[in-house]
Amino acid sequence: MIRLENLSKVFPGQDEPAVDDLSMDIYEGEIVVLVGPSGCGKTTTMKMINRLIEPSSGRIFLQGEDVTRVNSDNLRRRIGYVIQQIGLFPHMTIADNIATVPKMLGWDKERTSGRIDELLETVGIDRSYRDRYPKELSGGQRQRIGVARAMAADPPVLLMDEPFGAIDPITRDRLQDEFLRLQREIKKTIVFVTHDIDEAVKMGDRIAILKQQSKIAQYDTPENILTDPADDFVRNFIGTGASIKRLSLSRISEIETTDWPVARLSDSHDEVREKMRSSGRDHVLVLDEQEKPGRWVGKDEVKYDTPLEESGRPAVAVVEATASLYKTLDTMITSYKGSAIVVDEEGRYKGVVDFDTVLEATSAMHSSEREETAQDLQTEGGGR
Amino acid sequence: MTTTQGTSAKAAGGASRLLRYLVMPVFLGVVCLALYLYVSTQQLDSIERRILTADFLFARVIEHIQLAVVSTLIVVVLAVTTGILLTRPGTRRVTPFIIGLANIGQAVPSIGLLVLFAIVWDFGFWPAIVALVAYSFLSILRNTMVGLQQVDRSTIEAARGMGMTKMAVLFRIELPLAVPIILAGIRTALIINVGTATLAAFVDAGGLGTVIDRGIRLGRDSVLIVGSVLTGVLALSIDWLAGVAEDILRPKGL
Repeated sequence: MIRLENLSKVFPGQDEPAVDDLSMDIYEGEIVVLVGPSGCGKTTTMKMINRLIEPSSGRIFLQGEDVTRVNSDNLRRRIGYVIQQIGLFPHMTIADNIATVPKMLGWDKERTSGRIDELLETVGIDRSYRDRYPKELSGGQRQRIGVARAMAADPPVLLMDEPFGAIDPITRDRLQDEFLRLQREIKKTIVFVTHDIDEAVKMGDRIAILKQQSKIAQYDTPENILTDPADDFVRNFIGTGASIKRLSLSRISEIETTDWPVARLSDSHDEVREKMRSSGRDHVLVLDEQEKPGRWVGKDEVKYDTPLEESGRPAVAVVEATASLYKTLDTMITSYKGSAIVVDEEGRYKGVVDFDTVLEATSAMHSSEREETAQDLQTEGGGR
Repeated sequence: MTTTQGTSAKAAGGASRLLRYLVMPVFLGVVCLALYLYVSTQQLDSIERRILTADFLFARVIEHIQLAVVSTLIVVVLAVTTGILLTRPGTRRVTPFIIGLANIGQAVPSIGLLVLFAIVWDFGFWPAIVALVAYSFLSILRNTMVGLQQVDRSTIEAARGMGMTKMAVLFRIELPLAVPIILAGIRTALIINVGTATLAAFVDAGGLGTVIDRGIRLGRDSVLIVGSVLTGVLALSIDWLAGVAEDILRPKGL
């Protein structure tokens, strides 16, 4: 999709190149994260793709076309661009901001207006905001408009320079999740620059860890980088806790849930006791009419004078099936009995996971990867 | 919640602004009325009667406005253009030179500048205009440059990154965002020119300065007072108009 060939940049008045002979392929529909310490040239590299910075040498291909010499203004209209400061135009309404590129491309009013409504819906902002000005929006809303504006003319490629950098951690987390959900629908090719390895692991289908002068230390999937760092630089950059970071890559839906006795609020007390006895567990999970987890009820808590909805304790440690193992573990630690209840998107019960299940699943993952790596080493003749 | 607060704040701002708009015209009306009452109670001799006619005074006011407005229009075109050129990359070397020149224009006392132009060129309207332009050039030039330089770099980068040409960025992003500061400079220049135009009488360019000058030379206090008060009223009216224009022309959303 995007191919960089021997790309270099020497800024005037500097001896050392900022980017030195970089070649890489960026595949269609993937989020590629350029990550590295500050001053490593990652932003320069990204800005050379839309030629906000003209490369000193080397070539850039977009969808197979050599765009190193084409008109740069026209090129940029084909590439979405989101920066950390967002850069909304303060004197234009939200609608006019989003319409910037469509207007330049000569879209008629009706088409532009329809597109604005569509995009506002996509990024989850009410249409009533069309005629507001950027200063009336919160930081998170501005960021969403920034993304909407970048996608206005439906460019195949988006460049994002630390797009969530200037937002508070909680909103950032939510925006990241939203963006990943959006990306699953739109499947754009995205080049994403950040200095935060955790964000890189979360967002990237592929991560390029860059050293000084944009030299690629490792360009691989997050899984492979975390389990098999190419050198000490990568290892240092990942920092401690690589195994914990790995947990944020696996979804709870990928591991098997434990069998657990389940009762309904409509069941009689005897039925509940019978279920507990036959399963051999000392607790049973009681679901309400909509199959949602209601209460944990213990062996000694089933009493004829207490209705089921008041027995035991409320089931609070609930995670969605799409949650990461990291989040699940976090929930478990704070839960009663060290287990978490897995539900689907509508909140209906799917199963229960506990520490043992997660531990088993992760150790299984590790051993299978170790085998794969061993095979790779054999087939590639020991070199990487 | 925030929207209701926003609208009510806006409404309150609108009401107080309307009040502010009304104060100055009412004050100026009262001053003019007082001036008229003062003159009509005086015993005027033939000289005074010849000068203090509606026709004569009205013609001087028009001359005065012409001097101020024409010089300001010319200086807006020249100084804004220069300001744009001096903030483009590639003109960095000439910037200090131009600023220095504009500084000289403002540093020389205005009467000196007027007389200088009259001596080396000619007496009359156009030499006076050139002197006024030179005198008020710096205020607009400086504000244009500051206005353009204070535009957030990231806004410009976003615009360039979306494929706007440099011209489009200048006219659709930079200049609109610099408008409030440029307008403030234009208002300052206008006020300077209304004040300095009073001195244009000395180089035979007319204006309300003529009335003051006659009042002094003929020793007629009533003429002197009428000339001075009218100059003040005119200056305040134009400043008031400029203030209203500033509020209207400022882009929304800033």
